[in-house]
Amino acid sequence: MLYRTAGQFKTSYKADQALFPVRQDAFLLGIILILAWVVFPLTASEFTFQTLLIPILIYSLAALGLNILTGYAGQLSLGTAAFMGVGAYACYKMITIMPWLDPVLAILLSGFFSAGVGVMFGIPSLRIKGFYLAIATLAAQFFLVWLFEKWAWLYNYNASGAIQVPQLESLGVIVTGPNATSITQYYVVLGVVTLITLICINLTRGTLGRTWKATRDMDIAAELIGINLMRSKLTAFAVSSFIVGVAGALFVFMWRGAAEPNLFDIPLSFRILFIAIIGGLGSILGNYLGAILIVGLPVVLNTLPAALGLEIKSATVEHLNIMIVGGLIIFFLIIEPHGLARLWGLIREKLIIWPFPH
Amino acid sequence: MRHLKTMVAAAALSALGGAAIAETLYTPNLSYRTGPFAATGIPLMNGQRDYMLMLNARDGGIGGIPVDFEECETGYSTEKGVECYEKTKGRAIVTQPWSTGITLQVLPKTNVDEIPILASGYGFSPMADGKVFQWAFNMPGGYFDAASMILTELGGGDQASLSGKKIAFLHLDHPFGKEPLPYLDSKAELHGFELLPIPVGLKEMQNQSAQWLQIRREKPDFVVMWGWGAMNAGAITEAVKTRYPMDQFVGVWWAGHSDDLQLVGEEGKGYRSISFSMPDNDSAVMADIRKHVVDAGKSLASEEELNEVFYQRGVIMSVILAEGITNAQAEFDTAQINATQLRWGLENINLTEARLAELGVAGMVPPFSTSCADHTGHAGGWMLEWDGTQFVRASDLLKPDLAAIQPLIAESAAAYAETNAPWPVNEECNAPS
Repeated sequence: MLYRTAGQFKTSYKADQALFPVRQDAFLLGIILILAWVVFPLTASEFTFQTLLIPILIYSLAALGLNILTGYAGQLSLGTAAFMGVGAYACYKMITIMPWLDPVLAILLSGFFSAGVGVMFGIPSLRIKGFYLAIATLAAQFFLVWLFEKWAWLYNYNASGAIQVPQLESLGVIVTGPNATSITQYYVVLGVVTLITLICINLTRGTLGRTWKATRDMDIAAELIGINLMRSKLTAFAVSSFIVGVAGALFVFMWRGAAEPNLFDIPLSFRILFIAIIGGLGSILGNYLGAILIVGLPVVLNTLPAALGLEIKSATVEHLNIMIVGGLIIFFLIIEPHGLARLWGLIREKLIIWPFPH
Repeated sequence: MRHLKTMVAAAALSALGGAAIAETLYTPNLSYRTGPFAATGIPLMNGQRDYMLMLNARDGGIGGIPVDFEECETGYSTEKGVECYEKTKGRAIVTQPWSTGITLQVLPKTNVDEIPILASGYGFSPMADGKVFQWAFNMPGGYFDAASMILTELGGGDQASLSGKKIAFLHLDHPFGKEPLPYLDSKAELHGFELLPIPVGLKEMQNQSAQWLQIRREKPDFVVMWGWGAMNAGAITEAVKTRYPMDQFVGVWWAGHSDDLQLVGEEGKGYRSISFSMPDNDSAVMADIRKHVVDAGKSLASEEELNEVFYQRGVIMSVILAEGITNAQAEFDTAQINATQLRWGLENINLTEARLAELGVAGMVPPFSTSCADHTGHAGGWMLEWDGTQFVRASDLLKPDLAAIQPLIAESAAAYAETNAPWPVNEECNAPS
């Protein structure tokens, strides 16, 4: 009833090709945007900004980058964290070499560095597929983290081997460093994430997206209908690594404030891969749902006992947390192996025909 | 249904009750009882917790108000640590970050949030400079202190006699492991010994065969270890396997955990570890903890854990924090102190022999004092030696080589302040003593 699409006629091609042809979808998106842009910033506490809103957005963006590569173009990658690292270190070097550079611009520019590195490690994908490609990206993971540790120039010969984010201003507002307010950082992250998501939605339904999907579904068939596989795979690597690199720069500059090389080690890659898989491969919405489940839920669960006034030891809460989140992941994957986005898709379909299912 | 209502009501009541208790000293501890470093974390955190519980039971807290020593679990993950910091900073009068990674992350925020960081014996060595790091404390000693005392002891009391020797520096490849490198490098150049840094990656902690192969090939005169967690047990078992002479093998104070040595037992005999704390099972403080906490069934520690170096070091850490609180309460004449007042308290710690005896910890930590400019105290420490079943004291009180350490601290602190500009520096302090 609420989701009834009857009576919504598309009378022009333009209406038919709209991003959200169903009115309720556009309405829902509007509500989400209002929540994200107006309601959350007005109501959130420092704790909510730092542990829920900002990290969920950044992780979603990283998962979105991976999803372009794995979900849309079908190239399995285990090197996401390393590409995030490339973005973060590139951004760090840029702003230390050119202190006058606008930090937000630097964050966006750092994506080009990770895109370059991503394409380089994507070259093997022209010859190898599936698990073998995963191993090649795993090599990127190990090699790049090793490089972050050993190449002292990257962290400006800092004795501890870590990079520290200095205080930077963009258009007169402090956006990084300890004096930046959470709300500013949130808006920067939200702005970048919204922009990239919008681009991605369009990209994945355009020519490029269709080329990727054809490559994913059957590369020989794609080649036979005239798709240049090299171009298709390498653009996927470039776009994906660009987004992942921007996410990495945001991760360090807008949230963590400091980073050591092993932050970009394989556990982070796996975490992002889990977000993408549980959210749903080959979907944009899924990345957000996955990040909410994997990044947001544990934080909320951790605060629950205290909010309910239960006296549970902090370590026990942590153990319970791991069990609950693990259980939920299994539960969701059993009821819908294609991820949360597909689950939402099914619910939406049911809603459209409700209350008169055929 | 009625059942549910009662439960909801009870929960609501207790939530209200929690808010109503205003008079507590909230000193959260970012603990890790889970994850790869839990084995070394648990005894330390039990020691910290039990001392505070003992104060609550024996004296009704500090200055008459109870200490709310809440733990927030981090699992040694920096991300979780920051989450805990954000969660607790509203009411906290101190942050105990418990990992070099979390310390580095939280350090820049403390100037803004104005909450002191207490990182006893860990964290960033230049935190000793109170002028630059106004809110950070790492008494009774930093990593430069530890490195200096180890070198002095290895040189038989004089570092100059290390000339021509070869020292392998086996360290965790992590900010923590790299901390003493500036000091060791400067000394290697000065005294003419060869320093051979051998990093152990986080993934290789349990399998260090490659590193020990290198040690066997290079035949260093000494191996100095900067290890933590699973790395220590790995190194000690490898050392036994490759038959490296244990009396030439020395660890930092975090590499002196009894459980790691228990694995090799008799074969680990001769292994030494520097320590700023000395376990004493017959001390008054341990007797009180046994009486008020352990016998009352409130402790989480096992009987054998109570005798360990790490547990009693945890106790010492809480002694230092409690002393800071007591100081602040006396100075500001209020029991309910705030974070700024606690900072004053921590800057004015004066633990003399007499005061240590009064607290019941005589001989468990060297006497030391802090000041506005000196946030470490440079207490010094003892060399502990594994005798096959337990750690025993193997040296007199060692003192760090301040003449060499101070310039390094000032230099790194200035470099930190410069890269993190604008960084507020407290010019009112006198030069480090």
